Amino acid sequence: MSVSEDVARRAPARRTATHDLTRTSGIGLGVTMIWFSLLVLVPLAAVVATAAAGGLGGFWSAISNEQTAAAIKLTVLSAFAVTVVNIVVGTTISWVLVRDGFPGKKLLELVIDIPFALPTIVAGLVLVSLYGNDSPLGLHVANTEYSVFLAFLFVTLPFVVRTVQPVLEQLDPEIEEAAASLGASRLTTFRRVVLPALVPAIAAGAALSFARAVGEYGSLVLLSGNLPFRSEVTSVRILAAIENDNRSSAAAIATLLLLISLAVIVLLDVVQRRVARRG
Amino acid sequence: MTYVLRVVVVAYLFLLVAWPVSLVVTHTFAHGDEAIRAILEDPDMQSALRLTAIAAVVATVINTVFGVGVSLLLVRNEFPGKRVVSALLDLPLSVSPIVVGLALVLVYGGRNGWLGPSLESAGFQVIFSTPGIIMATAFVSLPLVIREVVPVLHELGTEQEQAAASLGASGAQTFWRITLPSIKWAVVYGVVLTLARSLGEFGAVKVVSGNVLGSTRTATLAVEEKYLNFDQEGAYAIAFLLASVSVLAILVVFVLRSREARHH
Amino acid sequence: MSIDVTGISKRYGDFVALEDINLTLPTGQLTALLGPSGGGKTTLLRIIAGLETPDSGSVVIEGTDATRLPVQKRNVGFVFQHYAAFKHMSVARNVAFGLEIRKTPRADIKRRVDELLALVHLSQFADRLPAQLSGGQRQRMALARALAVQPTVLLLDEPFGALDAKVRKELRDWLRRLHDEMHVTTVFVTHDQEEALEVSDEIVVVNDGRVEQVGSPDQLYDAPASDFVMRFLGDVTTLGGHAIRPHDIDVQVTPQVAGAAEGTVARVLRVGFEVRLTVHTLDGEEVLVQLTRTHARSLRLEEGATVWLSPAEGATVMPRAAALSGSS
Repeated sequence: MSVSEDVARRAPARRTATHDLTRTSGIGLGVTMIWFSLLVLVPLAAVVATAAAGGLGGFWSAISNEQTAAAIKLTVLSAFAVTVVNIVVGTTISWVLVRDGFPGKKLLELVIDIPFALPTIVAGLVLVSLYGNDSPLGLHVANTEYSVFLAFLFVTLPFVVRTVQPVLEQLDPEIEEAAASLGASRLTTFRRVVLPALVPAIAAGAALSFARAVGEYGSLVLLSGNLPFRSEVTSVRILAAIENDNRSSAAAIATLLLLISLAVIVLLDVVQRRVARRG
Repeated sequence: MTYVLRVVVVAYLFLLVAWPVSLVVTHTFAHGDEAIRAILEDPDMQSALRLTAIAAVVATVINTVFGVGVSLLLVRNEFPGKRVVSALLDLPLSVSPIVVGLALVLVYGGRNGWLGPSLESAGFQVIFSTPGIIMATAFVSLPLVIREVVPVLHELGTEQEQAAASLGASGAQTFWRITLPSIKWAVVYGVVLTLARSLGEFGAVKVVSGNVLGSTRTATLAVEEKYLNFDQEGAYAIAFLLASVSVLAILVVFVLRSREARHH
Repeated sequence: MSIDVTGISKRYGDFVALEDINLTLPTGQLTALLGPSGGGKTTLLRIIAGLETPDSGSVVIEGTDATRLPVQKRNVGFVFQHYAAFKHMSVARNVAFGLEIRKTPRADIKRRVDELLALVHLSQFADRLPAQLSGGQRQRMALARALAVQPTVLLLDEPFGALDAKVRKELRDWLRRLHDEMHVTTVFVTHDQEEALEVSDEIVVVNDGRVEQVGSPDQLYDAPASDFVMRFLGDVTTLGGHAIRPHDIDVQVTPQVAGAAEGTVARVLRVGFEVRLTVHTLDGEEVLVQLTRTHARSLRLEEGATVWLSPAEGATVMPRAAALSGSS
């Protein structure tokens, strides 16, 4: 669950004064917000401001560059596909982790967190060794458009699992037993009783997963070959623009990435809220 | 049905994660421990590993102090704009590392950043230097401590803190004697995850570092360089070192968590 | 006078928690703040402790104006409903906490902790963690912790609310005995009228942010100042348009008292030693009557029997406010 949800969910029902800061906590808030602004907010604002300085025309010409447009299309489509896969597979994995019991299950828990902790460049190297030119499986995914899908799949693995798992653990098995006692089959019980309770968590995990995929860079460096019009992603285009000292173009593409992430996060937040209200 | 799902899940995780990761180990030790030793003896690599360690440790210290402070403010205080702040704190997880690098360059770049030229004339270089690498690292791992600590603080409630106050403890005494020991494990998880994430940051560091051999080259940048220079063995050896640390990190968190779960 | 509360008001947004509360609680007394939940009694207790700040009014403790004093400086002992045990500290360390904060010499701390643990019968649990204690034990630990600093006043917020009925009763007796030994001025919040009646010297009934009545348990029970207090302290039924307690009604099987209400027994319910009758009078009232099983047996009461009802001698009877009429 995200920090903002957590904070929002437990906001006090009765509103007290607009603030209750003591002097110490007031100073603390000031210092942390200055640091947060210098580190995160001002730099991100600089990206948007630099993009805006080029005007709408400049923005459009940066992102409609043929090579860039191809990269954006590949990135968004792959991120979308990976998110769909994660919704299905991630939910399944968390179901198996919570409801199934078998020797070695603990090991699976560990394996799921590896992509989160592994340096992205190492993740790329890891995938090259199984799906590259010397693939022991004979699968040559490296340097093709599918390598992007594969890398995204690897780095986003934990998101849906780790948001759904705790919710599933909290879910009272009695509810399922009640549904079963009323004659519902296992599949019906899952679809009508379990799934609706999981939707907010799935949506939150999917949003994180999509946002992470859209901006991915490190795991692709060694895996995708960065072939223009074939396996080049948006981040690589931004980096190329930076290296050519074309800041306004880099900022324009970066702003587009930020907007796409933001749109998906907002969209899934709406889904989440709608489901939460209905339930 | 249960059995089928179990097999599917195990196969999926094996093909996507376990097998590929294990290949790094076999590649690294294809010729014994020669590759690892070569890396550890190379002075350039030593300085890259040192820089990675320094950046990761400093970023982790900053994010821990910042994270615990912000978590306390978010959970224990009301102030205007709290919702917005808590939403913005998750932002770094959704921003591309390359965009992070770009954002920092646009503000702190020495030539034409917003603040960079004034800082540089004051003798403080950020971009293409260690402070930039630390900032990039701190940016990407910023929310990890907060995400661990906030739910635990909520769960903890304020009763114990009020009890301490009623017994005469000052704000600082309450924090050190009551609050911090109660959120200890959450802070430890947050620190370990932050450290793992920080050691491995690549894209953002690549943009801000300039990748100057022996001075601003980190371990992750060295993996790329060695691989592209056809020194596959060297690349695998560094990757192995980095992967060991990150696997160790999640192992530590995993063991601590299951121990804690048994206690309750 | 130990605690003087003058003109205390507190609002949360539009919600008025307390309105112009004036109260004096004498030194050494055990006082109950009694009332329904949401009525403001806990807020009042927390304001006395310094855990909440009033919007207006003042709190004077033992002659010292404490209104602006933070909780740390008031020297109050506060016991929380859910114990607020310091989970990471042993029982002994919990009790020692306030003394450590006051930089008491180590030997004194040890002696005082041993004394208190003996007092609350927890000596053998000194090295356990709170999680290894039962609810009742945890609450005794919390009490020892609050008493350790020798507080001017001891404040307890629904101290037995989270315990099961039997432990609750034990702790209640124990609190009364402890108070009789130590004579520390004590205020405790409860919504359980039986608890308040049994334990306290004085009861303050708080409802809707106001004080309804202050008095000894007997005064409150025998002479409630309002319909609300009467209802809150025990069962109430209606006889002849007056509020009356069901066990304050005399039942006759022949007309003997002038003005007695004639009716038919509609239902007889036996609960242990007690028999509860529902009587429909000729005036159309539904009256509840409580008697002992031996009394009921001697009258041979059965459903359908005709009875005459009248207030017993010395019964508490109150004209019913029109707005509150109807069965309870």
